[in-house]
Amino acid sequence: MNKFLFYFILFCAASLSAQKPAPKQSKSILLKGGILHVGNGVKIDNCAVGFKNGIITHVSSIAENKINEKDFDTIINIANQHVYPGFIAPNNILGLQEIEAVRATNDFAETGEMNPNVRSIIAYNAESKIVETVKTNGVLLAQTTPRYGAIAGTSSVVQLDAWNWQDAVVLEDDGVHLNWPSFYTPTKWGMKGPEEFEKNKNYEKSIDELALFFKEATAYCANENSEKNLRFEAMRSVINGSKNLYIRANEVKEITEGIRFAQEQKIKKIVLVGGKYSYLCTSILKENNIPVMIGRVHDLPERADDDIDLPFKLPYLLAKENILFCLQNEGDMEAMNARNLPFLAGTAVAFGLPYEQGVSAISLNAAKILGIDKKHGSVEIGKSATLFVSNGDALDMKSNQLTFAFIDGRKIDLKNFQQKLYEKYQDKYKQQNN
Amino acid sequence: MNRFLFISAFCCFTLLFTSVKSQETFPFNGPKNEKHILYAFVNATIFVDYQTKIDGATLLVQNGKVVSVSKNAAPKNALIIESKGKIIYPSFIDAFTNYGMPEVKKGKREDRNQFISTKKGAYNWNQAIKPEINSAELFIADNASAETFRKVGFGAVHTQASDGICRGTGAVVLLSNEKENTLFVSSKSSANYSFDKGSSTQDYPSSLMGSIALLKQTYLDAEWYAKNDKTKETNISLEAFNETQNLPQVFEVKDKYNVLRAAKIAKEFGKSFVFKTAGDEYMAIKEIAETKSSLIVPLNFPEAFDVSDPLDAHNISLEDLKHWENAPFNPYYLHLNKIPFSITSADLKEKKTFLTKLKKAIDCGLPVSEALKALTYFPAKQLGVDNVVGSLKPGMLANFIICNNELGSAKFNVQENWIKGEQFVIEKPEAIDIRGKYDFVIDNNKLVLTIDGESSKPKATFSKDTIKYKSTISIERRLINFTYVVDSKTIRLSGEVLPGDSLLKGTAINESGAQNYWNAKLIESKKTEAKPDSNSTKKEELGTVWFPNMAYGFDTLPTKNNYLIKNTSVWTNEKEGVLSNYDVLIQNGKITKIDKNISALGAEIIDGKEKHLTAGIIDEHSHIAISGGVNEWAQASSAEVSISDVVNPEDINIYRQLAGGVTAAQLLHGSANPVGGQSAIIKLRWGQTPEKMKIEGADGFIKFALGENVKQSGSWGGARFPQSRMGVEQSFYDVFIRAKEYESKKNNALKNKTTFRKDLELETISEILNKKRFITCHSYVQSEINMLMHVADSMKFRVNTFTHILEGYKVADKMKNHGVGASTFSDWWAYKFEVMDAIPYNAALLTQQGVVTAINSDDAEMARRLNQEAAKTVKYGGLTEEEALKTVTLNPAKLLHLDTKIGSIKVGKDADIVLWTNNPLSVYAKAEKTFVDGVCLYDRTKEETIKQKNNIERQRIIQKMIAAKSGGEKTQKPNSKKQQHHYHCDSIEEYYYE
Repeated sequence: MNKFLFYFILFCAASLSAQKPAPKQSKSILLKGGILHVGNGVKIDNCAVGFKNGIITHVSSIAENKINEKDFDTIINIANQHVYPGFIAPNNILGLQEIEAVRATNDFAETGEMNPNVRSIIAYNAESKIVETVKTNGVLLAQTTPRYGAIAGTSSVVQLDAWNWQDAVVLEDDGVHLNWPSFYTPTKWGMKGPEEFEKNKNYEKSIDELALFFKEATAYCANENSEKNLRFEAMRSVINGSKNLYIRANEVKEITEGIRFAQEQKIKKIVLVGGKYSYLCTSILKENNIPVMIGRVHDLPERADDDIDLPFKLPYLLAKENILFCLQNEGDMEAMNARNLPFLAGTAVAFGLPYEQGVSAISLNAAKILGIDKKHGSVEIGKSATLFVSNGDALDMKSNQLTFAFIDGRKIDLKNFQQKLYEKYQDKYKQQNN
Repeated sequence: MNRFLFISAFCCFTLLFTSVKSQETFPFNGPKNEKHILYAFVNATIFVDYQTKIDGATLLVQNGKVVSVSKNAAPKNALIIESKGKIIYPSFIDAFTNYGMPEVKKGKREDRNQFISTKKGAYNWNQAIKPEINSAELFIADNASAETFRKVGFGAVHTQASDGICRGTGAVVLLSNEKENTLFVSSKSSANYSFDKGSSTQDYPSSLMGSIALLKQTYLDAEWYAKNDKTKETNISLEAFNETQNLPQVFEVKDKYNVLRAAKIAKEFGKSFVFKTAGDEYMAIKEIAETKSSLIVPLNFPEAFDVSDPLDAHNISLEDLKHWENAPFNPYYLHLNKIPFSITSADLKEKKTFLTKLKKAIDCGLPVSEALKALTYFPAKQLGVDNVVGSLKPGMLANFIICNNELGSAKFNVQENWIKGEQFVIEKPEAIDIRGKYDFVIDNNKLVLTIDGESSKPKATFSKDTIKYKSTISIERRLINFTYVVDSKTIRLSGEVLPGDSLLKGTAINESGAQNYWNAKLIESKKTEAKPDSNSTKKEELGTVWFPNMAYGFDTLPTKNNYLIKNTSVWTNEKEGVLSNYDVLIQNGKITKIDKNISALGAEIIDGKEKHLTAGIIDEHSHIAISGGVNEWAQASSAEVSISDVVNPEDINIYRQLAGGVTAAQLLHGSANPVGGQSAIIKLRWGQTPEKMKIEGADGFIKFALGENVKQSGSWGGARFPQSRMGVEQSFYDVFIRAKEYESKKNNALKNKTTFRKDLELETISEILNKKRFITCHSYVQSEINMLMHVADSMKFRVNTFTHILEGYKVADKMKNHGVGASTFSDWWAYKFEVMDAIPYNAALLTQQGVVTAINSDDAEMARRLNQEAAKTVKYGGLTEEEALKTVTLNPAKLLHLDTKIGSIKVGKDADIVLWTNNPLSVYAKAEKTFVDGVCLYDRTKEETIKQKNNIERQRIIQKMIAAKSGGEKTQKPNSKKQQHHYHCDSIEEYYYE
């Protein structure tokens, strides 16, 4: 049998999620007595959170406000448990990849350099087995993001409990992803990838190509064209300032030139992605109100001489400068690793970031950057009831234990196939011992 | 005297027949032209050898050989060469070159996999083993290349084809422009080696440890071959190998630690290598001195970086900066440590910089006499030709250089280089300097002539009173020509410089063609006085060498101290559990007391209040700190290779992991083949050398692997067996059956005292059968796990550990029966098909079923957060916190058979402990202090000071570099950066290779 076909069939068999998306919220719910981490930096001990029809209708401190319990159909006592807004995993190929090593399951990159028109949302696999494991740890929203090329494509924000991609959409086509040319290119490949780098000889050429593309797209978008160009068309909302341009850059010179480039192209909504050395050029970020989606906190420093804790400290270093940032975890095995997003925030807290800001870094800040903060990112009245309850501190792996999670007020199934396998084999050994 | 040059300039062909060194066996066209002129260089300062200097001496040379050096007057029949003020040295000898050798080209591979050598004939199976190569046969003299050597003083070189692991014999040849037949000093002067497989297109070896194993096996094969019945196997390579063992054995290395690695092999097989090194020996100078090897050392001092752009300068590591500062001191360090060495011009970008680099080395403390020794006597000695070249003793070859200044002076350079009595003029005598002011007289007319500018390119001005005439000058030897213009008329003059250089005289033609006489008398000389040799006294400032010589290195190695950690929570990992508010005393590298209110005189007290003390983290599965590749993938079994041969103590990840509380790790071979290589079990002794990293007396382990990697599932797949899980099983049966047969053959041979071929691969497998080596096997799905246990049961061995073992939870019962432990990831999955059933509950379920279970990293990044990974077993499956901590401390210690020494806090155990700021399983916990053997190797409270120290050192050297640049030193752009990777043995990229 053809190898790829073989894997494809296996993949189909292996990858169907067993979870069933939850139905619409029909009854109003009140969570009573928990410790609320609002997401905006505020913490409320002994709080009450109520929601109806998927919308948060009540947030208060029980000590300060009396709650009319009769207003709610269901009251859940969550004393000493923690309430968080649903965490958001931005810049992730979640749902676009099932098995890293099996090419047939990879749908996050298109051929060619300028692909703003390719849209991750239609490839988003709402039934990915990876997605169900991610929810279990409190990550309820994600930005499903294409990769590679100069312009990788257009991402979308999804909620993780859906029947299909249409059902999953929170914000369709939220922005275009530009991979800023790398200042360095590998010159020596070791056994496991590039080891030594040299200044990229094509750096200027790549920028020139991008500039031409942006200029042509700008000219094209100045009118409604009868003859459509799909690539330019996809740039329209970035050029007119309604959607984000995500610029992925890490070195100081890349960051500086990437931002200046976008400004020259009159792009209004710029987001820096990665930003390993962004702490060295905070003024350009501050002066231009550029938010940062910080690369994986659980990473090694780029250079041997760097502060050994640099990736752990980067969120703190940007917070100190009042730069808006959120966390993401682009890198090896990022889809499956999305479930560790809360612990990236935990580590950032260990290295100086105040706790509630750690929560914001994976909730409200992400929502603000993605442009979904009117409805998402914090537990506040009027917003979507996308939140969860954890038995303990959700940023700490040893106590992250979800008891309830809601997306738009829907109480979602947290039991994933891995727990089921665990139980199955526990049963096996019980049977043997009987 | 210039006759020879003169002829050679015309026609090389003629040279063959007119050379004084005509060859006995060659026919001669025309009357024989043999000369036996006796040359006498008189009144010179002559270095007979590096330590014997005679002033006012006479050197007699005849027939290409030295007749004598003495204070006696020259005999009457001698051709006298006045050499007053000249210094004569024996010509230099370069002990490591490829002079006249063909260029090494990497061949093209025909197939995806190449298992044996493509060399036709009865040669060795491995293409990198070619001791039969005879460089003398390959040697073709190349005058253009020879000239670059001659110009910097070399008269003879050792040349060899630098290609492969066993490279064949080298020769010592002269650098004159002659037929090859007359150029050899020795046609077989050395046998040559390296760890680099060179142009070989064969897959094996694909790693440094593979090269090491291959060389060892070659020694064994050659030993066997010498005694073997040749009708069984004829192997020209091994024959040549055996024949060349009595020659000097020259080994080229590209790294200081490879000196130690090769010296270890030499010791094992009773050999002794002369090492061609990389110029970085100063970083491991003590250990290199202990090998008692002699070295051939390059002067490849790095160029300064252009650090003017601080962002670009960010790319330069402190390691690079420190090496830039220290490298010129390398020869000095060698001298200081009494390591005998010669100096080679190898590894220089441009040979012409050799003398500048030599001067730099001398300025950096290398005594001039040592430099001379390293360039004359010692290289000759290393190659066994010190009775022919390297000194100017009677009967030795007349190879000498004539200089104006002594070695060590800034103005030292070579004027003439004589090779076997042949003269090569390197620097023509300076053109005469006629600069000055002259009284110029022509036809009773008096003018002033001023000659200035450079002595080789003078400028002339004719003037009268304040009027300057437009003038030109040209000079050729002593013939001179001027023009000057008066009233738009050009007067043309020609003439000569008379002896004494103060009178110019000649004839002039004016505008109408009339001839006149002119002369010019010097009235004021403008010759610049020779500046005093100021540079020769300039001494460079010695930099410091750190351990390792990079950021976060120690300036002095920390030592064992006695510590008393007070009032802390002690996670004992013993039946006592977690003891609150206890004290722990460590003395002499051991844990000596655990109690309340200990008092210990002299111990440094550490306040442990509100902190937690645990045993150091042990990473059962790591690939950090390895040089030259983690996979020897070319064969299904590579049991002969060992990571313990290639430990790299300079990996910054060692330090980073100490900061994560890791104190020990098993460095494993990768998972590219069913039987991988032997592992190294180390402590993270940052600052030490490779050998000292290893845990003394630890049991030997070996990596096995199953599944997608070994069957080469990705696009990297080729023809190598196995390609399926079916084949994987057969690979194991094959090696174990072969090993059993080998053992019985070996026992018979020992009993009957007959010969047998020692096979390193099967020796290792036999160790497994004899319970002297233990298996850690990379594994994923239950079928293959059961398969290996089945193979083990039927072949009567035991699997010690399944690593990764992501479906272990499905077969925990069978694992328990087999007695195998598990070392797994906390939550990795979805990276390939075979991990789709991986669950994060694996460790908990295995533990609950009584399997000793560890959490490992297989990843340099995760390794520094293994406490967090252990904490996930609390979240997934509900292990207690104590059980969770054991998965990264006591349990891996058990799996590595080291639990009597490390893994818990118990009196008598090694003081490998970590003080945490918080509950060690919390995401908020940071290792505050990490001790290995009672030595504090990481201290977070001092982290700011250490970073500051890095920065001060960095800025100091950067300022020095800027000064070097403005002082005219050549600089290089800091365009490149080096990247630290985090690898795990499943990385698909792992299979890419250079």
